[in-house]
Amino acid sequence: MTAPAGGGKRPSMMETVQTTDGFLRHAGRDFLVVMYTAFRSLKLYPIENAQVQKALDDLSATTKQLLDVERELEIRIQGEFIFVNSTRLRLDLDNYASFSHILNIFQQCGVGAVRMDEGVDRRQLQVFVSLLLSYAAKEANPNKLFELSQKLTDGGVSFISVEPPLEAEEDVEEEERQKEAAKRTYARSVAVTKEVINSIRMGRTANVKKVKRAVQAIVDQVLNNESSLVGLTTLRDYDEYTFTHSVNVCIFSVALGRKLGLTKLQLYDVGMAALFHDVGKSRVPLEVLNKDGGLTEEEWRIMQAHPWLGVLTLFGLRGYGEIPYRGMVVAYEHHMKIDLTGYPKSIRPRILSIYSKIIAVADGFDAATSRRVYQTVPIQPDQVLKEMWENPRRGYDPVVVKAFINLIGIYPVGTCVILDTYEVALVHNANPDVGHVHRPVVRIVTTPDGALLKPGTVVDLSEKDANGNYPRTIVKVTDPVKYGINVSDYFV
Amino acid sequence: MQIVSKGMRATQLYMPNNPVYQRAVENIRTAFRQIWQATDDLILDIGETEMRWEDHVIYNQDQRHESIAWTLYKDGVRSLSFKPGVEDLEIVRFLGVLQQAKNLQADAPDDLLTLLWAEDFQLISYTFRELATENAVPIERSEAGPSIGGAGGTPGDEGGSTDPMAIRRQVEEEAPPKREGLVSVDDFDTTLYFLDDKEIEYLHKEVEREYAQDLRRNVLAMLFDLLELQIYGTVRAELISIVENFIPYLLGAGDFRSVAFILRECKVILQRAREVIPEHRQVLEQLPTRLSQADALSQLLQSLDEATSHPTEEDLSELFSELRADALTPLMGWLPKLHNERVRALVQSSAERLAQAHAGEVLKALASSDAVVQIEMVRVAGRLKLTGAPEGMGPLLEHGERDLKLAVVEALTTIGSPSATRLLEKAIDDGERDVRITAVKFLGQRGHRNAFPRIEAAVLGAKLKEADLTEKMAFFEAYGSLAGAPGIAALEKILISKGLLARKEDPETRACAAMALGKIRTPAARDVLEKVMQDKEPLVRNAVNRALREVGPAT
Repeated sequence: MTAPAGGGKRPSMMETVQTTDGFLRHAGRDFLVVMYTAFRSLKLYPIENAQVQKALDDLSATTKQLLDVERELEIRIQGEFIFVNSTRLRLDLDNYASFSHILNIFQQCGVGAVRMDEGVDRRQLQVFVSLLLSYAAKEANPNKLFELSQKLTDGGVSFISVEPPLEAEEDVEEEERQKEAAKRTYARSVAVTKEVINSIRMGRTANVKKVKRAVQAIVDQVLNNESSLVGLTTLRDYDEYTFTHSVNVCIFSVALGRKLGLTKLQLYDVGMAALFHDVGKSRVPLEVLNKDGGLTEEEWRIMQAHPWLGVLTLFGLRGYGEIPYRGMVVAYEHHMKIDLTGYPKSIRPRILSIYSKIIAVADGFDAATSRRVYQTVPIQPDQVLKEMWENPRRGYDPVVVKAFINLIGIYPVGTCVILDTYEVALVHNANPDVGHVHRPVVRIVTTPDGALLKPGTVVDLSEKDANGNYPRTIVKVTDPVKYGINVSDYFV
Repeated sequence: MQIVSKGMRATQLYMPNNPVYQRAVENIRTAFRQIWQATDDLILDIGETEMRWEDHVIYNQDQRHESIAWTLYKDGVRSLSFKPGVEDLEIVRFLGVLQQAKNLQADAPDDLLTLLWAEDFQLISYTFRELATENAVPIERSEAGPSIGGAGGTPGDEGGSTDPMAIRRQVEEEAPPKREGLVSVDDFDTTLYFLDDKEIEYLHKEVEREYAQDLRRNVLAMLFDLLELQIYGTVRAELISIVENFIPYLLGAGDFRSVAFILRECKVILQRAREVIPEHRQVLEQLPTRLSQADALSQLLQSLDEATSHPTEEDLSELFSELRADALTPLMGWLPKLHNERVRALVQSSAERLAQAHAGEVLKALASSDAVVQIEMVRVAGRLKLTGAPEGMGPLLEHGERDLKLAVVEALTTIGSPSATRLLEKAIDDGERDVRITAVKFLGQRGHRNAFPRIEAAVLGAKLKEADLTEKMAFFEAYGSLAGAPGIAALEKILISKGLLARKEDPETRACAAMALGKIRTPAARDVLEKVMQDKEPLVRNAVNRALREVGPAT
């Protein structure tokens, strides 16, 4: 490599990469947001409408800006991620709605990637956006993408082209790999948690290194393929409840943290705190912890001590140079409620940590949806969310609950539902388009005639038929036990 | 890889500003740039003793303690991948992590993998194998049969049937058929669960607050809440033990505010908490005292002196304000030992605050057997004008070394209280010249008449015969200031010898007498001075002229 002729300092490769990435992330995000605005405007108003015209002007300007720098533009969909010129765009609170809407439209049209070259103009963009909207509304058919492509050509759109997604087989293989990776991560996390809690109970030194690795693996898995790990939270192990519960709360908290835009290291912080939130229970006698039936006043007092017992336990975990302060705060606060009327009581001024609020929601959800000695019939997930959302006396932060519902949907993963077609289904994942939070992606596990299906068929309840109607709608949430369905089998 | 290996050693041994370090890093960068001319990424397979690139061994080191390969391999890393740009910043961090991992103990809370993960490298990736069996139970589908808790049977029972007709019946019972034409409100209300801008802003602010908070203080507040509310002895004992053990760690970490917080809250606990048993009460009461003792304070001050960054005066004073008065003596002893000026200034101002608040401790410090403590305390007392201090300074004047006595008189002159001036009177007769001079000058300037007899005795007697000019001058001027007009006659006798047989004083003494007359400033003094304006001794003439200027012109 030679120095540039002018003798000026050339940016380093890293600087160039970082600058390019940074530019693409910002400009890519802006581009998608204006595209979303264009979609919405065109959907609601006629083409002549001033809002529509402005949206198209903005889209044209933003496209030109990107092309001036990049020379060509590729928007590619991979799973639930959007890449702009190979740079993955980060989903966070102020763009997830637009992103998921665009993801949905592309998927409905069978589009895997859109390419734009220099020369694209406003008219072509208008035709492109209109066609996409029109084809997204049509019934699914294998030729949709080809037809769309033809229409673009017929419409004189020569600088925009569409491509199918990457090979479906690759997707399936990748999905299987992710599933296996999620299972390994989950199993190891439960084992590590069990080892640590049992060590503490027996007064032995706990292996913190393994815990760190487990949480790091959970963070990595959530960042790579969140749904695979969240699906495993349906594993509600009656006998190993303490350990699976801690891991489930960790997964939910990290996933929620990701939705809130936390960085990787911050996700690690929330994950560690979540995994240890109930560590104080290692000092609660097992006969109280596992008691069948109601607790006496004294027993209830002991149970209510587990938050602060957790603080004392964490002090003993490592030396004073490695105190997990954040974990202590969460262990202490997670039952306090946002108005501090919960437990333990606080005398000195206290403002609840956001991580405590996140973990309180995750904890409350997982506990209520699990079968326990004192709760032989778990509450249905949607009812739990409804209660959290509607009853302020539960003491959950309403914004965090809202974000949680955004994360897992009104009908969380694993919820057993009856459809208006007499089929029984399990919620597979929340709909990526948060505008369809009531219409998740489900796996149909019985036919209308009642035959059980394994593995069943995955359908998106937000997809419409040729008449513009929804072919399937959730009628009711039900108990899978009634139908002999083991929910976790469909996620493992 | 050899260059990287050498570079790793260099970065371990030298500081970043060292030329050897910089050369090593530059060599690494050059080596990587050459690689990027041939390939877009560098993927290495890691073995126990070797590293391979595309099946070629590019690094081999059998000595495990020297081997980069072993450091990676033993913690499970099986491949490493570098991308262009890694040489700019990340490679140096990577080498730092490797070095850190090499030095980790077996029971450390981290290993290479957790350290690598925490670095969040963008241009370095790795694959690894989980080494230890985790006792992880593989997650498999359950055997065919009903779900958890279910045991089979007809629908509606605890366990569900798998008979299709039964399932269909159950579904029909639970979900009556949909009425045509009905739409769901849910399909129209798509925005209920969107987070609006305010909510997004709220969440962002909460995360910012999370990372801006003082976590230690938060945890300490919890501990003290528990101490106050939990009345069980065993629980309180554990909490108190935690607090006690926490303090040295906090001091070592330089978190003086937290230690001050602990000391303050201990007082609150003693006031407010119910049923505190005597044993616990004693421990809590003793905490500030223990911290104020010489050993504990010495540790603190030593660590302060050696630290690279120091607390603010506010932080330090917050701690010191909670210390018992006992702390004053050790602080005084340490002041001259501190190398760091900033620390010294911080400790000094904090010590001064303690001194001002605890007069009794000041006297104790003055009576210390440590001369360093005494002299520092004297200086502080003088600076602060502690009126109670002279009481402890008398013995120092009588028995102290020269430097100490000098410091004492200087302090006494600054303090200037009646007790101080009384001590200074005695100092006129001290065996040390500088002590005498300082005392007499002050007393003369002050017009302290009580000192006159001693000064007069010195001036008119034989004491000053062997004294140097400076001392003589000091005494004579003081005499002049204190004697006033009645002293003119005596001074005249010294200045002007009358008669051939009268004793003639030496020129220095005569000059001093002239200066003394200058202090009297009366017409009579002027008259005497004018008589010897043309004295043949230059020293005397100069003194007379200066004195006349001081007296002023005749009116």
